[in-house]
Amino acid sequence: MENKIRRRTLVQAAATAGVAVPVLAACGGGDDDGNGPLKMVVWGGDLDKETYQARIDLFEKANPDVKIELQLIPSDQYEQKVQTMIAGGDGPDIMQVAEGVNTYSSKSQILPLDDYAKDAGLDLEERFGAVGTLYSYEDKVYAIPDRSGAMIVYYNKDLFDAAGVEYPTAEWTQEDAQAAMEKLTISGTQWGYGGAGWWPQWWSFAYQNGGQIIDDSGQPTANSPEVVKALQWANDLAHKDHVVPTAAEYADMGPDMGGDPAFAAQKVAINTTGFWAIGGLLEVDFNWDIAPLWRGADQAVSAFGSGLAISRDCKNPERAFKAIEFLTSADAQEVIIDKAQDVPANLEVQQSDAFLTPSWATKPLNMAAFGESADFIFRAPFIPQWNEMQAAFDDNLGTFWNEGGDAQTELDKIQTQLESIITD
Amino acid sequence: MSKTIDEAPGAVRSARRAGRRRMSSRSKKEAFYFWLFISPWLIGFVGFLLGPMIASVYISFTEWDSFTPPEWVGLDNYVKALTGDPVFWKALGNTFYYALISVPLGLVIGVWLANLLNKRVRGRKLFRTFIYLPTLVPLVATAMVFKMVLAPSGPLNELLGWFGIEGPNWLLDPTWVKPALIVLSAWGAGGATVLLLSAMNGIPRELYEAAEIDGASAWRQFWSVTFPQITPVIFFNLIMGLIGSFQIFSQVYILTAGGPDNASQMMVPLLFREAFSFYHFGYASAVAWLLFIVIMAFTLIAFRTSRSWVFYEQEVR
Repeated sequence: MENKIRRRTLVQAAATAGVAVPVLAACGGGDDDGNGPLKMVVWGGDLDKETYQARIDLFEKANPDVKIELQLIPSDQYEQKVQTMIAGGDGPDIMQVAEGVNTYSSKSQILPLDDYAKDAGLDLEERFGAVGTLYSYEDKVYAIPDRSGAMIVYYNKDLFDAAGVEYPTAEWTQEDAQAAMEKLTISGTQWGYGGAGWWPQWWSFAYQNGGQIIDDSGQPTANSPEVVKALQWANDLAHKDHVVPTAAEYADMGPDMGGDPAFAAQKVAINTTGFWAIGGLLEVDFNWDIAPLWRGADQAVSAFGSGLAISRDCKNPERAFKAIEFLTSADAQEVIIDKAQDVPANLEVQQSDAFLTPSWATKPLNMAAFGESADFIFRAPFIPQWNEMQAAFDDNLGTFWNEGGDAQTELDKIQTQLESIITD
Repeated sequence: MSKTIDEAPGAVRSARRAGRRRMSSRSKKEAFYFWLFISPWLIGFVGFLLGPMIASVYISFTEWDSFTPPEWVGLDNYVKALTGDPVFWKALGNTFYYALISVPLGLVIGVWLANLLNKRVRGRKLFRTFIYLPTLVPLVATAMVFKMVLAPSGPLNELLGWFGIEGPNWLLDPTWVKPALIVLSAWGAGGATVLLLSAMNGIPRELYEAAEIDGASAWRQFWSVTFPQITPVIFFNLIMGLIGSFQIFSQVYILTAGGPDNASQMMVPLLFREAFSFYHFGYASAVAWLLFIVIMAFTLIAFRTSRSWVFYEQEVR
C-alpha cells in the first residue's frame, strides 16, 4: 500500500513537472480502481506517433472521462522495452502487437479478448473480414486487428512502357512475372525486380505453390517440394537469371540498400513491399502504380499489419477494450489513411472513398489493389517462437542469398532446426 | 574489514596485530569520512553490479522467459551450450579468431604509429590529432562508413585492384566477414597510440644518449630502450584489448547482425539474441558466465606471462 501511494505521488510529481510519465508508472497511472489514464505503447516513427495521437484525441473527445497516454518506442527497441515493462510488473494497458503476438499470449501476458468483444457487441468477422481472428492462440483472440495491408506490387510505368511490357495484374503467373522481369532488365544498370529475400516475399510464393512453412497441425514443413521450389525460384532470379540485383550489387549501390530505395531510384522496375513505400514515392518524377501480387497454382500473398492487445497488468480491461473498440471503428481508422500512415484494418474504411481516392495522392493510384489482395492473404504461422524461427531461416540462408545455392540443402537444415525449436 | 580501516596510510603492518584498541576520535572521524566517500561507489557496486551478477548466476541455472517464474534446471543450460548448440561453438570460435588477431594487430599498429609520432617531424601535433580522431567518431557512424568502404566495388577493393588483387565481398562472404571486422578494429588503434606515445615521451633522454655513445643503431635503440620502457603500457592495452574484443557487440550488431550464416556471430550478440529476442534468459546467462570464464582465463594467462616480458623500472628483481 505504502508503495502504491509513493508511486502515485511520483507519477503526479512527474506529471506536474511536465515530464512524460516514466516507464515505471503503474498501469492505470497508479490508481487503485484503474480510473487513471490508460497507457498505450506503439512502435514506429514521427508519422506513427502523429497518427495514433490523432486517433486518441478523437477517442478522448468522445469519452471525456477516459484519458490515454501514448508512448512511442523506436521499432528496434520495442520488443525489449515492452518485455522489460511486463517483466517488471508495469506492463502497458494497451500494446501494439504483430507477428510476435503469441510470444505474449502463450505465456498469458496478454488477455484473451473474445468475451470483451462479445460484451461490446463487436463482430470481428464483420469489421475486419478474414483477418479478424489473425491474432489467435489456441482458439482465443488476443489482439484486435488495427492496421492490415497486403504486400503489393509497385511497378515503374515508364520502364514498363519503354520495354513494351503490359502492366502487372493479379492474374499474372510466376512465369509471366519472370518474363516481364527479363524484358525489364538492362544488364548492369537496371533490374526487373527488387528481389524476394524477405520472408513476406518468398513465403508468398511458397503458399502460392500450395506449400506451408508450418502446417495446420503446428508441425514445420519448411522443406516440402512446394517451399523448396519457391525459395529456389526466388534465389535464381538473382543468381541464375540476373533479373534481381545480387547482394553484392545492392551493396555497391550504397549502405542499407534494398528493393524499396532501389525502386525509388529507378534501379528496379518491380518491387514487392507494403503500404509504407507509397509515402516516399509521392514526390518522385516518374510514373508508377500499384497492383496485387501475381499468382502461382494458387493465389496467395502475405500481409503486414498489427493489432492492439491488453496486457495482464491492466487493472481495468473493460475500459481498455472500450478504447480499442473505438480506435478500430470506422471514424478513428479513417485517420490512418488520411495521414497516409498505413492500411486500416477496418473493412468499411478500406472500401470508402477516403481510402480509394486518398486526398494526398498526387497521381491516381490503384488503391483497390489492397482490397483485391485481401481475399487471398495467407495466414503466416505466428508461432510463439516466431523470432527463433526467423533466425533459423536467416542463419542458414545468409550465404544462399548472397552467393546462390541449393534450396533443398538449406531447407533440410532449417527443417531440422525448426523441429527442435518447436518441440522445445 | 572494519578492523583495518583505522590504519593510517603507510602504517607498519605489525600495528594490525596489536589487537583491538579503542579508536581515537581522529581515526573514528577518518573512518566516517572513508565510508561516506566510498558509499556512492559501494551502493552502486552492490546494487547495480554485485546484485545483478549474483542474480545472473542463479538465472543461469534456470529456464526463464522473463514473464513467468523461473524454473530450476540445474546445469542444463551449460550442458546445452557446451554440447548441444552448434551456434555457441561457432560464436566462441569467431570471438577467439577476432580477439586473437585484432588485439595483437592493434598493439603492433599502435606501437608503430607511436614510434613514428615520437620522431621530431614537422606537423607532429597534426598527425597525432588525425590518428586519435577515429577513436572519437561514434561507432555507429564508423560502421555506416565501413559498410560503404567494404562494399564489393567500394574504395577498399578499388585500392586492392591497383595492386592486381581482386578484393572479396567482405561483409557478404563468410570467409572474409571476420577479417572485415578486424580491419574495422584497426581503425580504432589511435586510442592505444596516444597512451603508448605518452609512455615513450616519459623515457629519460639519458638512456638514448648512453645508447648512442655505445654505438646502438636506431633499431637497437628501439628494442633495447624504447620497447622495455613501454611494456607496462603495452601490457595494459593488451588486457583491456582482450576484454574489449571478447565482448565485441556493436560492430557485429550494426554491420552484419551475425551473418552470413553466423560467420560473424560473436558471444555477446549471441547472448543478447538469446535473451532479448528468443526469451531464453537462463541460457543467455549461462553463455555470459562461460564468456566470463574465457575472459578470466585469458587475463590470467596474460598476467602470468607478464613477469617475463613486462619491465617496471622501479621493480627490484
